[in-house]
Amino acid sequence: SVCHIMSVGFIGAGQLAHALVKGFTAAGVIATHRITASSPDTDLPTVSGLRKMGVNLTTSNKEAVNKSDVLFLAVKPHIIPFVLDEIGPDIEDRHLIVSCAAGVTISSIEKKLLQYRSAPKVMRCMTNTPVVVREGATVYATGTHAEVEDGKLLEQLMASVGFCTEVEEDLIDAVTGLSGSGPAYAFTALDALADGGVKMGLPRRLAVRLGAQALLGAAKMLLESEQHPGQLKDNVCSPGGATIHALHFLESGGFRSLLINAVEASCIRTRELQYLADQERISPAAIKKTTLDKVLQQPGVTVGGVANGNGKSGLSLFNNHGSGLKKKN
Amino acid sequence: MDPEMDSQLKIGFIGAGNMAFGIAKGILSGNVLPANVKVSAPSSRNLGRFQELGIAVTHSNIEVVCGSDVVFVAVKPHLVPLVLNEITQHVTDRHMIVSVAAGVTLATLEELLPENSVAIRLMPNLPCLVQEGALLFARGSHAKQEDGALLRSLLHRCGLVEEGPEAWIDIHTGLSGSGVAFVYLFAEALAEGAVKMGMPSALAHSIASQTVLGAGRLLRDSGKHPAQLRSEVCTPGGTTIYGLHTLEQGGVRASTMSAVESATERARELGRKSTAGSRK
Repeated sequence: SVCHIMSVGFIGAGQLAHALVKGFTAAGVIATHRITASSPDTDLPTVSGLRKMGVNLTTSNKEAVNKSDVLFLAVKPHIIPFVLDEIGPDIEDRHLIVSCAAGVTISSIEKKLLQYRSAPKVMRCMTNTPVVVREGATVYATGTHAEVEDGKLLEQLMASVGFCTEVEEDLIDAVTGLSGSGPAYAFTALDALADGGVKMGLPRRLAVRLGAQALLGAAKMLLESEQHPGQLKDNVCSPGGATIHALHFLESGGFRSLLINAVEASCIRTRELQYLADQERISPAAIKKTTLDKVLQQPGVTVGGVANGNGKSGLSLFNNHGSGLKKKN
Repeated sequence: MDPEMDSQLKIGFIGAGNMAFGIAKGILSGNVLPANVKVSAPSSRNLGRFQELGIAVTHSNIEVVCGSDVVFVAVKPHLVPLVLNEITQHVTDRHMIVSVAAGVTLATLEELLPENSVAIRLMPNLPCLVQEGALLFARGSHAKQEDGALLRSLLHRCGLVEEGPEAWIDIHTGLSGSGVAFVYLFAEALAEGAVKMGMPSALAHSIASQTVLGAGRLLRDSGKHPAQLRSEVCTPGGTTIYGLHTLEQGGVRASTMSAVESATERARELGRKSTAGSRK
């Protein structure tokens, strides 16, 4: 398969990069010596984790670009524009740029890269942390200049770490709300279920183990069944039994509506963040201090005292002048 | 069941209210001849509609019992002991006594009737009137399976007929007896929502009732789980899922479950009271 001859790069060596690499190596879909990850911060625990797996680490984004065919942008959304400006000149025709940043549109990335290449191949994906155990949920959308083969390649990679399918880009925010944030909902539920077990007398470790297994098993049943989850629920509820009593409590608490609200809130917030990014203004205070310092250390980057209409100064992420940042003269 | 046997069967009703009428209509659309049906009531007020069906009417409960094989006791619960005391001497082992009185237990019925009487407790619901009832019956100690089968065949045109242990009758009351009212409440609220959004009331009500009817038929006839049907109506990001979310936020599921629970508990309470009351 193509995965065995190509190289993968990660801009960013945080949770996402670590999880993906761990999954890819477990799947055996790519050898770690063919993976390069770049990060300004070498103290991150994920950085040492990656190093232990045999990944090439560097502080140079350019090096990650040069050593890769498929390049994952695995940094926080507000860092993306800095990164694109930096690596733009190093992008070659062979590169497939895969952005994993929530809320960052393909068109915004293409707009940046079009300054450097006539047909930058960009894809956008939304995955989630369980890729680390090869049970990820990933969707991807294909950019203007990406070919069918590029999609297949990405799908091959991501399918090795879980479920992967292509979607229209406008659905990605909803996916973020559901399966992007989903593991957090599950962890919250599991924590509480374990509390319930402990309250009723179970030792904590056992309670956690059993709760997790219950959700895992239920999810697996659903994925392997033709039946509606409502029907599967009914199958568990014997008349007048324990489960139906418990479910009534869940319903009384508005369990279902809370979950709907959660997915909705996450999706809406993703859109908000995207909107803020598109507004091309984000205050430096919104960027974590250490990250900003390191980013500002990169050549050619500075905070502009850019006055805008409401008198606030801020970093311009994407502007019409192409470079996106006010450069030092 | 044997249609020939049905046509020779004599059916009596003590009480001429809605339940009796609905059941009578269902029975007649089977093989039972109107000439073989008799109904008694103290006043003539409700007897007209039975006469229109060709059914004989009387003011004598005893006459109904003596002339019938199957007797439906369809009076108000507090009148059941009175009626049974009146007719008990005329009840023989050929009779099947079917009580539709809410809260009157089989134990009470068997206590008031001669020993070894075949007694069945039946809980119908209002839509029997339009042959779309939900009926659950429980057999008394001397009612055999054949008696149950006979009743089932008599009633099958009334709607859905099922048998169960007596314990389920109170639940059936909460679910389907009272459940009809819950549906009416929902239908009214649907219409009011439409009125709020600008539709004239009469039209809104008419559409609401057809919506409930249509959804109900689809649910029954498709054999699909309601959750499945619900999902099928919900297009992504569409109107239905928005509306459903609002319903979920209002805790409709929980309060509906609680409503069935309350009604069932009340049915049980009434059953206990009537049992206590009938002990002399």
